[in-house]
Amino acid sequence: MHNRRVGLFWSLLFLAVPVLGVAVFAVAPSIDVWLPKDVSAHGKDIDSLFYFILALTGIVFLGTELLLFWLIWKNDVAARGEEKATYIHGNHTLEVIWTIIPAVLMLFLAIYQMNAWADVKMRRPVMKPTVEVVARQFEWRLRYPGHDGELGTPDDLFLVNDLHVPVDEDVLVQLKSMDVLHSFFLPNLRIKQDAVPGMKIPVWFKATETGQYDLVCAELCGWGHYKMKGRITIESREDFDAWLEQKYQEQEATQPELQDPMF
Amino acid sequence: MKPPFATAYANTPETIAASRRGLVGVVLCCLVPLLAGCGQTPAATFRPNMVESAKQRLTSEQETQVATILEAMFGTPDDPIALPETGLDIGKLRMAAGPVHSDIVGRKNGLFREHCSHCHGITGDGMGPTAAFLNPYPRDYRPGWFKFKSTERAEKPTHEDLVTILNNGIYGTSMPSFALLGEAKVDALAEYVKYLSMRGEAELSLMRYYFELDDEDEGRLPEDREFLVEEILLPAAERWQEAEDAVIEVAEMPEVDLSESIAMGKELFYGNKANCVKCHGVTALGDGQANDYDDWNKVVKQWSDELQSAHQISTLEMTSEERAEHQAWLAKADKILEGDALEPRTIKPRNLRKAIYRGGRRPLDLYYRIHAGINGAPMPSAAGTLTPDEIWHIVNYIRGLPYEFDGELGADRSMVARDRL
Repeated sequence: MHNRRVGLFWSLLFLAVPVLGVAVFAVAPSIDVWLPKDVSAHGKDIDSLFYFILALTGIVFLGTELLLFWLIWKNDVAARGEEKATYIHGNHTLEVIWTIIPAVLMLFLAIYQMNAWADVKMRRPVMKPTVEVVARQFEWRLRYPGHDGELGTPDDLFLVNDLHVPVDEDVLVQLKSMDVLHSFFLPNLRIKQDAVPGMKIPVWFKATETGQYDLVCAELCGWGHYKMKGRITIESREDFDAWLEQKYQEQEATQPELQDPMF
Repeated sequence: MKPPFATAYANTPETIAASRRGLVGVVLCCLVPLLAGCGQTPAATFRPNMVESAKQRLTSEQETQVATILEAMFGTPDDPIALPETGLDIGKLRMAAGPVHSDIVGRKNGLFREHCSHCHGITGDGMGPTAAFLNPYPRDYRPGWFKFKSTERAEKPTHEDLVTILNNGIYGTSMPSFALLGEAKVDALAEYVKYLSMRGEAELSLMRYYFELDDEDEGRLPEDREFLVEEILLPAAERWQEAEDAVIEVAEMPEVDLSESIAMGKELFYGNKANCVKCHGVTALGDGQANDYDDWNKVVKQWSDELQSAHQISTLEMTSEERAEHQAWLAKADKILEGDALEPRTIKPRNLRKAIYRGGRRPLDLYYRIHAGINGAPMPSAAGTLTPDEIWHIVNYIRGLPYEFDGELGADRSMVARDRL
């Protein structure tokens, strides 16, 4: 009796892992801890890859976990301690099978995802940078090229944390880091790229919807990592240009702003 | 032939005990992290200004008196007090003070400790746990000096000036931008900075006041409200309230051709009248005079020098009692220098070719910087020596420096600053 209870506990504990695992994934989308809304042109590819890999690993996960449960159940609970343990040396055929199947799947994934990878990391749009983003402990310094479209000229516009980009257009970000490794992460645009000190890394995307979304640092970069929260505003070309112009005028101010007479 | 999956082991008493231990282990592993978070932390306290205390040679009774008076006037880090004479808004202070928590309506409080104190310290003494990593050191609010502001050199910054710094951060230092916290939170933090600064100044005045006491006071400060408000609180509080009136009036930019203005600015930069070249260097890379200290570091530097000479004083002619007292004071003062001050560091004149301007890059900001100089730093005020037009010429010259090509200036020449950031 005693033996049976212990075996029962362990087998049910192993059973709880796949049950809870599936439950968490089933509930997640309805309590808003699933993938953030995708507002990028390439996001669909990334997301379908994600779902495909999730399904694939999900099936393997369930199979493995249920097998573990079944083995404990069969050999401990159901056997009631009547049978003695035997030493086995493994099973060559099984090992070959469980090596070849994952290897084929991995190879398939590696080839299947190549196009999505190339779109995000290799096929850079031919254009001048829309904005330069300089990550530093602990903020995102931004530099827009100004009227002449060239970075590094006297009409550059300098801002911080408040990234604006036009909708439905290719956006090319020139990413740098001033101090340590940071990671430029736009969850809603399915963009994540490390910023490496000493390197000038191009990052590109096309936003498909206007709105305000998070810009966060996805690389633990020091004690103030949590402070590196920025914001991306996706807006129409007209709004974007008007915003740039307004910020530029503010940057060129030679007199303090007139205080509202109400105050 | 055995089946491929045979029973792994039999349920002997030993294996049952082993699996029991495993079970206990699993439960413990889950509980330990929970328990670790349950310890009570002691209430936060303000740290006394020990450098000043040692300088004034205060006794421990006097130190206690200062702390008691300050607590009566300003409260504690968890429970601030704003006397009406301070002009501070207690609602904003409560939002910024205390441990990080959400109040009944879910509003986030404890902003200063969440965002600021790890550098600026709970006391605002610029000695939080991460302060020593940074160059420049985080601002110590206690002397009441602030660098980047729109007011005349020795005046306090306006509330708006503090808000601007919080919003923009200080590029070139470790101060990041807090603009996305939103207006209300930034406003509360600016108010709390004023509170900490007033408290720090009051502490300094109290500590210095012992020197002016008569014999009949027996080394104790009066504790009546009139004395504390009139002599201690108001001198600093009133200047904060009057900051709005001390805002620099900015003359219109002279209507001359930009290249002409730049040429005149260049002449001033290198000339004797403005003499920017002395510190910012012939190349404007900030490689001029480099052995000066800012006022915060100067306090510690001078104190450390004084202490060094105090160590040289001969104790031969002292009575044994005097000698013991002297040595006890020296030991205390040495300890304070190690533990209550950051190692003094020289200040670097700004490299004007990086297109990084700490106090803001608007022409207006540069005008303020040149007109008033930088309070607390060796950068002098040009208000008495240069005309407003001349200040504008220098502003125009400086703004072109990151883009200057081959020593020849031209706002139309573009290539240089591109890769300097």
